[in-house]
Amino acid sequence: MRHLLPSLALAGLLFVVAACTENDTKSEAGAVKVSSTDDACELSSAEAPSGNVLFEVTNDGSQATEFYVLAEDGKRIVGEVENIGPGLSRNLVIQAEPGNFFTACKPGMVGNGIRSSFTVTDAGK
Amino acid sequence: MFANFLIGLREGLEASLVVGILVAYLVKTDRRELLAKVWIGVGLAVSVSLAAGALLTFGPRGLSFEAQEAIGGVLSIVAVGFVTWMIFWMARTSRQLKGALEGRMDTAIVAGGGSLVVLAALAVGREGLETALFLWAAAKATDNSSQPLIGGALGLAVAVALGILIYRGAVRMDLGKFFRWTGGLLVFVAAGVLAYGIHDLQEAGILPGIANKAFDVSSTIPPDSWYGTLLKGTFNFSATTTWLQLVAWVAYVVPVLTLFILTVRPKKAATPRTATSQNPSTPAHAAP
Repeated sequence: MRHLLPSLALAGLLFVVAACTENDTKSEAGAVKVSSTDDACELSSAEAPSGNVLFEVTNDGSQATEFYVLAEDGKRIVGEVENIGPGLSRNLVIQAEPGNFFTACKPGMVGNGIRSSFTVTDAGK
Repeated sequence: MFANFLIGLREGLEASLVVGILVAYLVKTDRRELLAKVWIGVGLAVSVSLAAGALLTFGPRGLSFEAQEAIGGVLSIVAVGFVTWMIFWMARTSRQLKGALEGRMDTAIVAGGGSLVVLAALAVGREGLETALFLWAAAKATDNSSQPLIGGALGLAVAVALGILIYRGAVRMDLGKFFRWTGGLLVFVAAGVLAYGIHDLQEAGILPGIANKAFDVSSTIPPDSWYGTLLKGTFNFSATTTWLQLVAWVAYVVPVLTLFILTVRPKKAATPRTATSQNPSTPAHAAP
Protein backbone atom coordinates (compact mmCIF):
# COMPACT_ATOMS: atom_id res chain seq x y z
CA MET A 1 0.00 0.00 0.00
CA ARG A 2 2.94 2.32 0.67
CA HIS A 3 3.94 2.34 -2.98
CA LEU A 4 0.44 2.45 -4.37
CA LEU A 5 -0.13 6.19 -4.24
CA PRO A 6 3.14 7.26 -5.89
CA SER A 7 2.81 4.54 -8.55
CA LEU A 8 -0.75 5.58 -9.32
CA ALA A 9 0.31 9.22 -9.53
CA LEU A 10 3.27 8.41 -11.78
CA ALA A 11 1.21 6.20 -14.09
CA GLY A 12 -1.41 8.94 -14.32
CA LEU A 13 1.18 11.59 -15.06
CA LEU A 14 2.86 9.54 -17.80
CA PHE A 15 -0.51 8.85 -19.34
CA VAL A 16 -1.47 12.52 -19.34
CA VAL A 17 1.82 13.58 -20.91
CA ALA A 18 1.50 10.89 -23.58
CA ALA A 19 -2.11 11.79 -24.32
CA CYS A 20 -1.63 15.50 -24.81
CA THR A 21 -2.53 17.18 -28.06
CA GLU A 22 -1.21 20.45 -29.35
CA ASN A 23 -3.18 23.43 -28.14
CA ASP A 24 -1.49 25.71 -30.67
CA THR A 25 -4.23 25.26 -33.28
CA LYS A 26 -5.75 28.01 -31.16
CA SER A 27 -3.57 30.60 -32.78
CA GLU A 28 -4.35 29.40 -36.28
CA ALA A 29 -7.32 30.71 -38.17
CA GLY A 30 -8.51 27.12 -38.50
CA ALA A 31 -10.64 27.02 -35.37
CA VAL A 32 -14.28 26.20 -36.00
CA LYS A 33 -16.46 28.40 -33.86
CA VAL A 34 -19.66 26.81 -32.63
CA SER A 35 -22.56 28.71 -31.14
CA SER A 36 -25.00 26.51 -29.27
CA THR A 37 -28.33 28.02 -28.27
CA ASP A 38 -31.50 26.43 -26.91
CA ASP A 39 -32.77 25.67 -30.41
CA ALA A 40 -29.84 26.07 -32.80
CA CYS A 41 -26.29 24.89 -33.37
CA GLU A 42 -24.34 27.18 -35.69
CA LEU A 43 -20.86 26.38 -36.97
CA SER A 44 -18.61 29.00 -38.53
CA SER A 45 -17.59 26.42 -41.13
CA ALA A 46 -18.99 23.08 -42.29
CA GLU A 47 -15.56 21.75 -43.20
CA ALA A 48 -11.97 21.70 -41.99
CA PRO A 49 -8.65 20.29 -43.21
CA SER A 50 -7.57 16.95 -41.74
CA GLY A 51 -5.23 16.80 -38.75
CA ASN A 52 -6.00 18.55 -35.49
CA VAL A 53 -9.35 20.25 -35.71
CA LEU A 54 -10.24 22.70 -32.95
CA PHE A 55 -13.84 23.48 -32.10
CA GLU A 56 -14.50 26.49 -29.88
CA VAL A 57 -17.94 25.83 -28.51
CA THR A 58 -19.79 28.74 -26.92
CA ASN A 59 -23.08 28.30 -25.12
CA ASP A 60 -25.21 31.29 -26.11
CA GLY A 61 -28.37 29.70 -24.74
CA SER A 62 -29.89 29.38 -21.29
CA GLN A 63 -29.55 25.60 -20.79
CA ALA A 64 -26.38 23.61 -20.18
CA THR A 65 -25.21 22.05 -23.42
CA GLU A 66 -22.86 19.43 -24.85
CA PHE A 67 -21.10 19.26 -28.21
CA TYR A 68 -20.33 16.08 -30.14
CA VAL A 69 -18.48 15.14 -33.27
CA LEU A 70 -19.83 11.83 -34.55
CA ALA A 71 -18.55 9.44 -37.20
CA GLU A 72 -20.35 8.90 -40.49
CA ASP A 73 -22.62 6.26 -38.93
CA GLY A 74 -23.97 8.93 -36.57
CA LYS A 75 -23.20 6.73 -33.55
CA ARG A 76 -19.49 6.45 -32.86
CA ILE A 77 -18.24 9.44 -30.87
CA VAL A 78 -15.13 11.03 -32.35
CA GLY A 79 -15.02 13.81 -29.78
CA GLU A 80 -17.22 15.31 -27.13
CA VAL A 81 -17.22 18.13 -24.60
CA GLU A 82 -19.73 18.21 -21.74
CA ASN A 83 -20.75 20.65 -19.03
CA ILE A 84 -20.81 23.76 -21.17
CA GLY A 85 -22.92 25.97 -18.95
CA PRO A 86 -24.64 29.10 -20.27
CA GLY A 87 -22.06 31.78 -21.06
CA LEU A 88 -19.12 29.34 -21.17
CA SER A 89 -16.77 28.52 -24.03
CA ARG A 90 -15.00 25.19 -24.09
CA ASN A 91 -12.62 23.71 -26.62
CA LEU A 92 -12.65 20.32 -28.27
CA VAL A 93 -9.66 19.11 -30.28
CA ILE A 94 -10.05 16.05 -32.47
CA GLN A 95 -7.55 14.27 -34.64
CA ALA A 96 -9.56 14.01 -37.80
CA GLU A 97 -8.95 11.79 -40.81
CA PRO A 98 -10.51 12.94 -44.08
CA GLY A 99 -14.16 11.94 -44.32
CA ASN A 100 -17.75 12.76 -43.45
CA PHE A 101 -18.86 13.48 -39.93
CA PHE A 102 -21.78 14.87 -37.98
CA THR A 103 -21.67 17.60 -35.39
CA ALA A 104 -24.31 17.82 -32.68
CA CYS A 105 -25.20 20.31 -29.96
CA LYS A 106 -27.28 18.95 -27.08
CA PRO A 107 -28.96 21.82 -25.24
CA GLY A 108 -30.51 20.39 -22.06
CA MET A 109 -28.23 17.33 -22.43
CA VAL A 110 -30.99 15.17 -23.97
CA GLY A 111 -31.83 13.49 -27.24
CA ASN A 112 -29.79 13.09 -30.38
CA GLY A 113 -28.90 16.75 -30.50
CA ILE A 114 -29.14 19.35 -33.23
CA ARG A 115 -27.11 17.75 -35.97
CA SER A 116 -25.45 18.89 -39.15
CA SER A 117 -22.97 17.37 -41.60
CA PHE A 118 -19.30 18.17 -41.29
CA THR A 119 -16.60 17.36 -43.84
CA VAL A 120 -12.90 16.90 -43.19
CA THR A 121 -10.89 17.47 -46.36
CA ASP A 122 -7.60 15.75 -47.12
CA ALA A 123 -4.73 18.04 -46.16
CA GLY A 124 -2.14 15.28 -46.30
CA LYS A 125 -1.96 14.72 -42.52
CA MET B 1 -26.64 31.09 -13.73
CA PHE B 2 -28.94 28.36 -12.46
CA ALA B 3 -27.73 25.88 -15.10
CA ASN B 4 -24.11 26.50 -14.04
CA PHE B 5 -25.16 26.15 -10.40
CA LEU B 6 -26.62 22.71 -11.15
CA ILE B 7 -23.43 21.60 -12.95
CA GLY B 8 -21.35 22.57 -9.91
CA LEU B 9 -23.79 20.83 -7.56
CA ARG B 10 -23.81 17.64 -9.63
CA GLU B 11 -20.04 17.44 -9.92
CA GLY B 12 -19.51 17.97 -6.19
CA LEU B 13 -22.30 15.94 -4.57
CA GLU B 14 -21.00 12.40 -4.71
CA ALA B 15 -17.50 13.27 -3.50
CA SER B 16 -18.96 15.27 -0.67
CA LEU B 17 -21.29 12.40 0.27
CA VAL B 18 -18.48 9.82 0.38
CA VAL B 19 -16.12 12.09 2.32
CA GLY B 20 -18.95 13.05 4.72
CA ILE B 21 -19.65 9.40 5.52
CA LEU B 22 -15.95 8.58 5.82
CA VAL B 23 -15.34 11.42 8.28
CA ALA B 24 -18.45 10.48 10.27
CA TYR B 25 -17.17 6.91 10.47
CA LEU B 26 -13.76 7.94 11.79
CA VAL B 27 -15.31 10.32 14.32
CA LYS B 28 -17.87 7.79 15.53
CA THR B 29 -15.30 5.05 15.96
CA ASP B 30 -13.01 7.47 17.78
CA ARG B 31 -10.28 7.46 15.18
CA ARG B 32 -9.89 11.18 14.73
CA GLU B 33 -6.14 10.86 14.24
CA LEU B 34 -6.87 9.29 10.83
CA LEU B 35 -8.85 12.36 9.72
CA ALA B 36 -5.61 14.00 8.60
CA LYS B 37 -5.17 11.25 5.99
CA VAL B 38 -8.61 11.96 4.60
CA TRP B 39 -7.88 15.67 4.31
CA ILE B 40 -4.50 14.98 2.70
CA GLY B 41 -6.29 12.88 0.07
CA VAL B 42 -8.92 15.55 -0.51
CA GLY B 43 -6.33 18.33 -0.70
CA LEU B 44 -4.17 16.32 -3.09
CA ALA B 45 -7.10 15.65 -5.43
CA VAL B 46 -8.30 19.25 -5.41
CA SER B 47 -4.88 20.78 -6.04
CA VAL B 48 -3.82 18.28 -8.71
CA SER B 49 -7.16 18.68 -10.52
CA LEU B 50 -7.07 22.48 -10.43
CA ALA B 51 -3.44 22.60 -11.56
CA ALA B 52 -3.95 20.09 -14.38
CA GLY B 53 -7.13 21.89 -15.45
CA ALA B 54 -5.35 25.25 -15.55
CA LEU B 55 -2.44 23.79 -17.49
CA LEU B 56 -4.77 22.27 -20.07
CA THR B 57 -6.90 25.40 -20.34
CA PHE B 58 -4.20 28.07 -20.51
CA GLY B 59 -1.09 26.08 -21.42
CA PRO B 60 0.22 25.19 -24.86
CA ARG B 61 -1.31 21.72 -24.84
CA GLY B 62 -4.83 20.36 -24.45
CA LEU B 63 -5.96 16.85 -23.64
CA SER B 64 -7.42 14.63 -26.33
CA PHE B 65 -11.02 13.64 -25.91
CA GLU B 66 -10.20 9.92 -25.70
CA ALA B 67 -7.61 10.59 -23.01
CA GLN B 68 -10.00 12.61 -20.87
CA GLU B 69 -12.70 9.95 -21.11
CA ALA B 70 -10.18 7.19 -20.42
CA ILE B 71 -8.91 9.03 -17.32
CA GLY B 72 -12.48 9.56 -16.06
CA GLY B 73 -13.44 5.96 -16.84
CA VAL B 74 -10.40 4.26 -15.33
CA LEU B 75 -10.38 6.46 -12.20
CA SER B 76 -14.09 5.71 -11.73
CA ILE B 77 -13.59 1.97 -11.89
CA VAL B 78 -10.61 2.12 -9.50
CA ALA B 79 -12.74 4.30 -7.20
CA VAL B 80 -15.43 1.60 -7.17
CA GLY B 81 -12.83 -0.82 -5.85
CA PHE B 82 -11.89 1.52 -3.03
CA VAL B 83 -15.46 2.42 -2.08
CA THR B 84 -16.31 -1.31 -2.01
CA TRP B 85 -13.36 -1.82 0.30
CA MET B 86 -14.68 1.02 2.48
CA ILE B 87 -18.15 -0.62 2.62
CA PHE B 88 -16.83 -3.95 3.88
CA TRP B 89 -14.26 -2.38 6.13
CA MET B 90 -17.13 -0.56 7.86
CA ALA B 91 -19.33 -3.66 7.79
CA ARG B 92 -16.61 -5.72 9.49
CA THR B 93 -16.40 -3.16 12.24
CA SER B 94 -20.16 -3.26 12.64
CA ARG B 95 -20.02 -7.04 13.02
CA GLN B 96 -17.36 -6.83 15.70
CA LEU B 97 -19.53 -4.31 17.49
CA LYS B 98 -22.19 -6.96 17.96
CA GLY B 99 -20.04 -8.16 20.82
CA ALA B 100 -20.11 -4.62 22.18
CA LEU B 101 -16.35 -4.59 22.47
CA GLU B 102 -15.42 -1.26 20.95
CA GLY B 103 -11.74 -1.83 21.63
CA ARG B 104 -11.65 -4.62 19.09
CA MET B 105 -12.43 -2.24 16.26
CA ASP B 106 -8.77 -1.39 16.13
CA THR B 107 -7.97 -4.55 14.22
CA ALA B 108 -10.28 -3.54 11.42
CA ILE B 109 -8.85 -0.07 11.11
CA VAL B 110 -5.15 -0.84 11.24
CA ALA B 111 -5.06 -1.61 7.53
CA GLY B 112 -6.78 1.64 6.73
CA GLY B 113 -3.99 4.23 6.90
CA GLY B 114 -2.54 4.51 3.39
CA SER B 115 -5.73 3.36 1.73
CA LEU B 116 -7.59 6.25 3.34
CA VAL B 117 -5.49 8.81 1.48
CA VAL B 118 -6.13 7.01 -1.82
CA LEU B 119 -9.82 6.54 -1.10
CA ALA B 120 -10.37 10.22 -0.30
CA ALA B 121 -8.23 11.31 -3.26
CA LEU B 122 -10.19 9.09 -5.66
CA ALA B 123 -13.59 10.11 -4.31
CA VAL B 124 -12.75 13.74 -5.00
CA GLY B 125 -10.38 13.36 -7.95
CA ARG B 126 -12.49 10.99 -10.00
CA GLU B 127 -14.32 13.81 -11.69
CA GLY B 128 -11.93 16.47 -10.45
CA LEU B 129 -10.35 17.17 -13.82
CA GLU B 130 -13.70 17.66 -15.55
CA THR B 131 -14.89 19.92 -12.73
CA ALA B 132 -11.66 21.92 -12.90
CA LEU B 133 -11.98 22.32 -16.68
CA PHE B 134 -15.54 23.54 -16.16
CA LEU B 135 -14.47 26.01 -13.47
CA TRP B 136 -11.55 27.36 -15.51
CA ALA B 137 -13.86 27.80 -18.51
CA ALA B 138 -16.19 29.75 -16.23
CA ALA B 139 -13.22 31.79 -14.97
CA LYS B 140 -12.25 32.59 -18.55
CA ALA B 141 -15.81 33.72 -19.27
CA THR B 142 -15.65 36.39 -16.56
CA ASP B 143 -14.54 38.86 -19.26
CA ASN B 144 -18.15 38.83 -20.37
CA SER B 145 -19.98 37.89 -17.21
CA SER B 146 -19.04 36.58 -13.79
CA GLN B 147 -22.39 34.83 -13.40
CA PRO B 148 -21.25 31.41 -14.69
CA LEU B 149 -18.33 31.32 -12.25
CA ILE B 150 -20.48 32.45 -9.33
CA GLY B 151 -23.15 29.91 -10.28
CA GLY B 152 -20.70 27.01 -10.60
CA ALA B 153 -18.88 27.92 -7.37
CA LEU B 154 -22.17 28.25 -5.48
CA GLY B 155 -23.20 24.80 -6.74
CA LEU B 156 -19.97 23.29 -5.42
CA ALA B 157 -20.42 25.14 -2.12
CA VAL B 158 -23.94 23.74 -1.71
CA ALA B 159 -22.60 20.24 -2.48
CA VAL B 160 -20.03 20.65 0.30
CA ALA B 161 -22.73 22.00 2.66
CA LEU B 162 -24.89 18.94 1.93
CA GLY B 163 -21.89 16.72 2.71
CA ILE B 164 -21.58 18.47 6.08
CA LEU B 165 -25.30 17.91 6.74
CA ILE B 166 -24.90 14.22 5.91
CA TYR B 167 -21.97 14.08 8.30
CA ARG B 168 -24.01 15.74 11.05
CA GLY B 169 -26.93 13.37 10.53
CA ALA B 170 -24.66 10.35 10.40
CA VAL B 171 -22.75 11.08 13.61
CA ARG B 172 -26.02 11.34 15.51
CA MET B 173 -27.22 7.87 14.47
CA ASP B 174 -26.52 4.92 16.72
CA LEU B 175 -23.67 2.78 15.41
CA GLY B 176 -25.65 -0.20 14.15
CA LYS B 177 -28.02 2.00 12.21
CA PHE B 178 -25.14 4.09 10.93
CA PHE B 179 -23.35 1.10 9.44
CA ARG B 180 -26.45 -0.34 7.84
CA TRP B 181 -27.63 2.90 6.27
CA THR B 182 -24.35 4.36 5.10
CA GLY B 183 -23.11 0.97 3.87
CA GLY B 184 -26.30 0.31 1.94
CA LEU B 185 -26.18 3.82 0.50
CA LEU B 186 -22.56 3.41 -0.56
CA VAL B 187 -23.34 0.16 -2.42
CA PHE B 188 -25.64 2.13 -4.71
CA VAL B 189 -23.21 5.04 -4.98
CA ALA B 190 -20.43 2.67 -6.03
CA ALA B 191 -22.68 0.87 -8.53
CA GLY B 192 -23.51 4.24 -10.10
CA VAL B 193 -19.83 5.14 -10.31
CA LEU B 194 -19.15 1.81 -12.04
CA ALA B 195 -21.91 2.43 -14.59
CA TYR B 196 -20.57 5.94 -15.11
CA GLY B 197 -17.05 4.65 -15.70
CA ILE B 198 -18.35 2.10 -18.20
CA HIS B 199 -20.13 4.91 -20.04
CA ASP B 200 -16.94 7.01 -20.21
CA LEU B 201 -15.07 4.05 -21.68
CA GLN B 202 -17.91 3.47 -24.14
CA GLU B 203 -17.77 7.11 -25.21
CA ALA B 204 -14.04 6.83 -25.75
CA GLY B 205 -14.64 3.75 -27.92
CA ILE B 206 -12.64 1.51 -25.55
CA LEU B 207 -15.80 -0.48 -24.73
CA PRO B 208 -18.52 -1.12 -27.34
CA GLY B 209 -22.25 -0.47 -27.32
CA ILE B 210 -22.56 3.29 -26.79
CA ALA B 211 -25.65 3.40 -29.04
CA ASN B 212 -27.40 0.34 -27.53
CA LYS B 213 -29.71 2.00 -25.02
CA ALA B 214 -31.45 -0.07 -22.36
CA PHE B 215 -33.82 2.77 -21.54
CA ASP B 216 -34.30 6.47 -22.11
CA VAL B 217 -36.39 8.29 -19.52
CA SER B 218 -34.94 11.72 -20.19
CA SER B 219 -38.41 13.14 -20.89
CA THR B 220 -39.55 12.08 -17.39
CA ILE B 221 -36.30 12.88 -15.58
CA PRO B 222 -34.60 15.67 -17.55
CA PRO B 223 -30.88 15.71 -16.75
CA ASP B 224 -30.95 19.49 -16.33
CA SER B 225 -33.79 19.46 -13.77
CA TRP B 226 -32.96 19.79 -10.07
CA TYR B 227 -34.11 16.24 -9.32
CA GLY B 228 -32.24 14.86 -12.34
CA THR B 229 -29.18 16.69 -10.99
CA LEU B 230 -29.58 15.22 -7.50
CA LEU B 231 -30.04 11.67 -8.84
CA LYS B 232 -27.06 12.04 -11.13
CA GLY B 233 -24.97 13.73 -8.47
CA THR B 234 -25.51 11.05 -5.82
CA PHE B 235 -26.22 7.76 -7.59
CA ASN B 236 -24.95 8.68 -11.05
CA PHE B 237 -28.38 7.90 -12.38
CA SER B 238 -28.33 8.50 -16.12
CA ALA B 239 -31.66 9.05 -17.86
CA THR B 240 -30.25 7.33 -20.94
CA THR B 241 -28.48 4.15 -19.94
CA THR B 242 -26.80 1.63 -22.23
CA TRP B 243 -27.24 -2.13 -21.88
CA LEU B 244 -23.64 -2.60 -20.86
CA GLN B 245 -24.06 0.00 -18.08
CA LEU B 246 -27.25 -1.66 -16.85
CA VAL B 247 -25.68 -5.14 -16.85
CA ALA B 248 -22.61 -3.87 -14.98
CA TRP B 249 -24.82 -2.08 -12.44
CA VAL B 250 -26.92 -5.19 -11.70
CA ALA B 251 -23.83 -7.44 -11.70
CA TYR B 252 -22.35 -5.19 -9.01
CA VAL B 253 -25.40 -4.46 -6.85
CA VAL B 254 -26.77 -8.01 -6.54
CA PRO B 255 -23.69 -9.80 -5.13
CA VAL B 256 -22.29 -6.81 -3.19
CA LEU B 257 -25.60 -5.91 -1.54
CA THR B 258 -26.25 -9.57 -0.68
CA LEU B 259 -22.81 -9.95 0.84
CA PHE B 260 -23.23 -6.67 2.68
CA ILE B 261 -26.58 -7.68 4.17
CA LEU B 262 -25.15 -11.04 5.22
CA THR B 263 -22.24 -9.26 6.89
CA VAL B 264 -24.21 -6.69 8.90
CA ARG B 265 -27.22 -8.89 9.71
CA PRO B 266 -27.56 -9.79 13.38
CA LYS B 267 -26.01 -13.23 13.77
CA LYS B 268 -28.77 -14.96 15.72
CA ALA B 269 -31.48 -14.80 13.12
CA ALA B 270 -33.28 -17.70 14.82
CA THR B 271 -34.75 -15.44 17.50
CA PRO B 272 -35.44 -12.20 15.69
CA ARG B 273 -38.60 -11.05 17.44
CA THR B 274 -38.31 -12.01 21.07
CA ALA B 275 -38.79 -9.33 23.64
CA THR B 276 -35.15 -9.37 24.70
CA SER B 277 -33.75 -8.70 21.21
CA GLN B 278 -36.24 -6.16 20.02
CA ASN B 279 -33.57 -3.53 19.92
CA PRO B 280 -30.80 -5.23 17.93
CA SER B 281 -29.78 -2.02 16.24
CA THR B 282 -28.26 -0.61 19.38
CA PRO B 283 -25.88 -3.29 20.58
CA ALA B 284 -23.42 -0.73 21.88
CA HIS B 285 -25.97 0.46 24.42
CA ALA B 286 -26.41 -3.05 25.72
CA ALA B 287 -22.97 -3.02 27.25
CA PRO B 288 -23.10 -2.65 31.02
